[in-house]
Amino acid sequence: MQAEFANIEFAGHCFRLLPSGAIFSVAHQTLWVADLHLGKAATYRQLGQPVPKGTTTATLKQLTGDIEQCQAQQVIVLGDFLHGPLVHGSQSTLQAISTWRAQHAHCAITLIRGNHDDKAGDPPQSLNIRVVDQPFEFETMLCCHDDQAPGLSPHSLVLSGHTHPVVVVHGRARERFRLACFVVSPNRVILPAYGAFTGGHVHKPTSEESIYVIADQTVIKLSGPI
Amino acid sequence: MIESRIQDWFKQQGWRPFAFQQRVWQAMREQQWGLLHAGTGSGKTLASWLGALQVCESTDELKAGCLKVLWVTPMRALAADTTVTLADSAKDLVPHWRIEMRTADTSASVKARQGKHLPEVLVTTPESLSLLLASTDAQARLQSVQVVVVDEWHELIASKRGVQVQLALARLMRWQPALVCWGMSATLGNLEQALQTLTQPSGQPGLLVCDDMPKAISMEVVLPPKVEQFPWAGHMGLSLVGEVAKRIWQAQTTLVFVNTRAQAERWYQALLEHDSGLAGVLALHHGSLDQSVRHWVEAGLKQGSLRAVVCTSSLDLGVDFLPVEQVMQIGSAKGVARLMQRAGRAGHAPGRSAKLVLVPTHSLEILEAVAAKDAVLKLSIESRSSPVAPMDVLTQHLVTIALGGGFRPAELRAEVQLTHAYRDLSDSDWQWALDFVSGGGKALAAYPDYRRVVAGEDGVWRVPDRQLARRHRMSIGTIVSDAMMQVRVWRKGGAGARLGQLEESFIARLKVGDGFYFAGRLLELVRVQDMTAYVKRTDQKRAVVPRWMGGNMPLSSELAAAMLARLDGEVQDQDPDPDPAWQAMAPLLSTQSRWSALPSSNYLLVEQWQSREGSHLFLYPFAGRHVHMGLAMLLAWRLSRESARTFTMAVNDYGFELLCAQPLAAQEVLSPALFTIDNLQPEILASLNASELSQRRFREIARVAGLVFQGYPGAKKTAKQIQASSGLFFEVFRQYDPSNALLKQAYDEVLSQELEHERLAQTLQRMQSLPLLIKPLERPTPFAFPLLVERLRERLSSEKLSERVARLVRDLEKAIAS
Repeated sequence: MQAEFANIEFAGHCFRLLPSGAIFSVAHQTLWVADLHLGKAATYRQLGQPVPKGTTTATLKQLTGDIEQCQAQQVIVLGDFLHGPLVHGSQSTLQAISTWRAQHAHCAITLIRGNHDDKAGDPPQSLNIRVVDQPFEFETMLCCHDDQAPGLSPHSLVLSGHTHPVVVVHGRARERFRLACFVVSPNRVILPAYGAFTGGHVHKPTSEESIYVIADQTVIKLSGPI
Repeated sequence: MIESRIQDWFKQQGWRPFAFQQRVWQAMREQQWGLLHAGTGSGKTLASWLGALQVCESTDELKAGCLKVLWVTPMRALAADTTVTLADSAKDLVPHWRIEMRTADTSASVKARQGKHLPEVLVTTPESLSLLLASTDAQARLQSVQVVVVDEWHELIASKRGVQVQLALARLMRWQPALVCWGMSATLGNLEQALQTLTQPSGQPGLLVCDDMPKAISMEVVLPPKVEQFPWAGHMGLSLVGEVAKRIWQAQTTLVFVNTRAQAERWYQALLEHDSGLAGVLALHHGSLDQSVRHWVEAGLKQGSLRAVVCTSSLDLGVDFLPVEQVMQIGSAKGVARLMQRAGRAGHAPGRSAKLVLVPTHSLEILEAVAAKDAVLKLSIESRSSPVAPMDVLTQHLVTIALGGGFRPAELRAEVQLTHAYRDLSDSDWQWALDFVSGGGKALAAYPDYRRVVAGEDGVWRVPDRQLARRHRMSIGTIVSDAMMQVRVWRKGGAGARLGQLEESFIARLKVGDGFYFAGRLLELVRVQDMTAYVKRTDQKRAVVPRWMGGNMPLSSELAAAMLARLDGEVQDQDPDPDPAWQAMAPLLSTQSRWSALPSSNYLLVEQWQSREGSHLFLYPFAGRHVHMGLAMLLAWRLSRESARTFTMAVNDYGFELLCAQPLAAQEVLSPALFTIDNLQPEILASLNASELSQRRFREIARVAGLVFQGYPGAKKTAKQIQASSGLFFEVFRQYDPSNALLKQAYDEVLSQELEHERLAQTLQRMQSLPLLIKPLERPTPFAFPLLVERLRERLSSEKLSERVARLVRDLEKAIAS
């Protein structure tokens, strides 16, 4: 099935909101993703919680798909790339990440440290990932992990992740859905969690926010109050 | 000789042993296992207890110094009372023995002392017993046990906690082949099977001793001044508060039973608001209150200083409160056995009849109350059976035993198969459970780096990781609840009194300063810190009542059949005067007949109604809410197979509603093929996949199997690194390990427990054989209305998610444009 994206304008640029949870700017050939939590399942297993393997591979495969389809030259990760310190002890996870990195050697990758990265420590240098603290300036915008980080002006134009936003919507015949979403307002864009083994937190939209939900392989803008 | 001392002791008390007590003693002396079925307050505790002393004497002449008698009770509230009862006779008969309890309420210091030196008699719960089995020196501490008494076996048998008891018995048998075990049970429809479930590990048939002369129960139904024609669950109940208060003053003492903790809080408040004279003599008792509060209430009941107690099933069981004169049941008791059990709390003195007052909370419950009276008269009582080989309890048990000294797989398998629940455990299930805890095997190749239990070079499987061991011990238990928070009074310079526990999810929805009712008080949230909610009293007007999870029992078949018999006009009142409660139903039933027809066992009534929401179908099989949920899902799934349709479903104990977003004509879609039982199981499973029910069921399984960890109590930070919701686990298993046995168990449990698939198949067969009576409605009928306003709904759809959301967006846009 053809993935259907939505277009938005933010900070004077055009962006595509992709059904994977990434956003892409054609003009900059740049892809933004947030909250991958790579190695989360492996961390659980090392601590004695049985989570089946495959989630990290699925996340990386999805990222490969996005990079190839958009022909992105650059990827900016808005924090929480690795789940925690134990990832450094999981050979299978590190191997999977480095294999994936080698497939996209041409692609520049920047990681903005998130709260999980602070605990996990930076990814191995061999991965050739530039690691910076938030806020990271990108043209007129600031790329952050958490848009509530201290020091950010409400007027700055911020791309961020961290909250894993989902919304609950109700329909006819008392239907109810819980869907991952992008939260877009004049000064902020919050991305949904990109990782395959991540939960979500319900976001209560304000009147100036637009919500773009992900349903199957489609991004749909919700109109009106939810 | 203890036997003659017992006889003397009876003489001193001015009593004579009952015949049934002597039969139990004789059997126990002969090392026989058995089940005692006797009414409460009739000396059944003494039967097992004094029998246990006789067993102990024959083995080692009642020497002190090690644990001899294990007394398992399902509820903490019972443990305290039992300990006192046992101690009372022990001080004369075995003064050198210690009698102590060990439950989740027991303080850490007492547990530590018991850790070094267990008492001769230990009163405990199934969870605490499992915890004992998980201690490294379990065998050394428990092999001296000679007698196990399982109190209130009817309450445990059908639950996973009962399976824990079965497993523990098999374990104790191995260490002590001469073990003797007796259970005690209230009224059940299948006592023989209950006996066999308990005595299975002994290999003996066991002895059933019955001494239950059915007590005369006088039943009365409280009627509202006017019977609402459009009943709304819980709506009318509180309007009867005046009647309830009036009857409280008419009896010496009253137990007011409600079905949920939230109702208990609400009724307690309502009674006090209605009648301030009740302040000080009315108390509240439910399982979330702090033990000091519960003990105070239980003591007050015994001394007779309380006039009435509003309580939940926390006071259902054995505690003998002699002065209770009257029992009130608010709302439906859902089953005949439960109602008789509760009625049995009243009139304990021999020869006195039990007085039971039924207080319906909506109009259809008046009908249910009438039917309940019929059923009690006919003694048609429900059965309860043990779960079959639950995998979550098995994986938990494997880790427990690995901690408690370790195990060799072949030996442990033989032991586990001694139990009734696992007697037919298959090779593949056993292997899967072993693989699952050890991270081995083909099926578990999907789990690199993972293991909990490790086989040592000596062939013994143990848990090497201390962190894991601690985590397992913390989370033993099969009762499921959310993470609990302590509720304490806020005081400067230190925490004040403990009030009890509330679910974290409820506290999380409150803001500081919000008011809520708890422990019978109006409280305001002051702050939340370290898993504790600090509160103070307040007098603000706006307050909420907490909602606790769980506790939605279905109407039993026996009660449902009695209701249909009434509707079909098969029951004639025996008195010359017709039952006033039945007469009060007449206007409602007449409206139902005029607008549609009465539900019946002779035809299948289907009501159809069109509203702005979509097309509604209402059906009334009277098979209890669980079966109705299964039927609703199955029919919705079958109806959405041919064309893409989206349904939401509402159920109650009498019937169910299918609400379809797309137009649906009953005459066209309701064919006999829709009700076929061919291919039933796979189609229900398919319908489950399209709904959210199994995901919710998985919550409990995930917790029992140790997937979801709640964190350490009192720990400043919970173990965040490994906290994920069971919903997330469910999704990950489903995508990446679809053959996982816990997932399969989630489906099985939904089938057998949530949907009661055997009863479902019978119901479906009955529905197929009945002629259809389709009634188009102009407006909802008295039977349809409660379904229409039911907020909790299941959903099922064959439309694509994106199509559903797109349709929703179109609807929203239309709404904005108009």
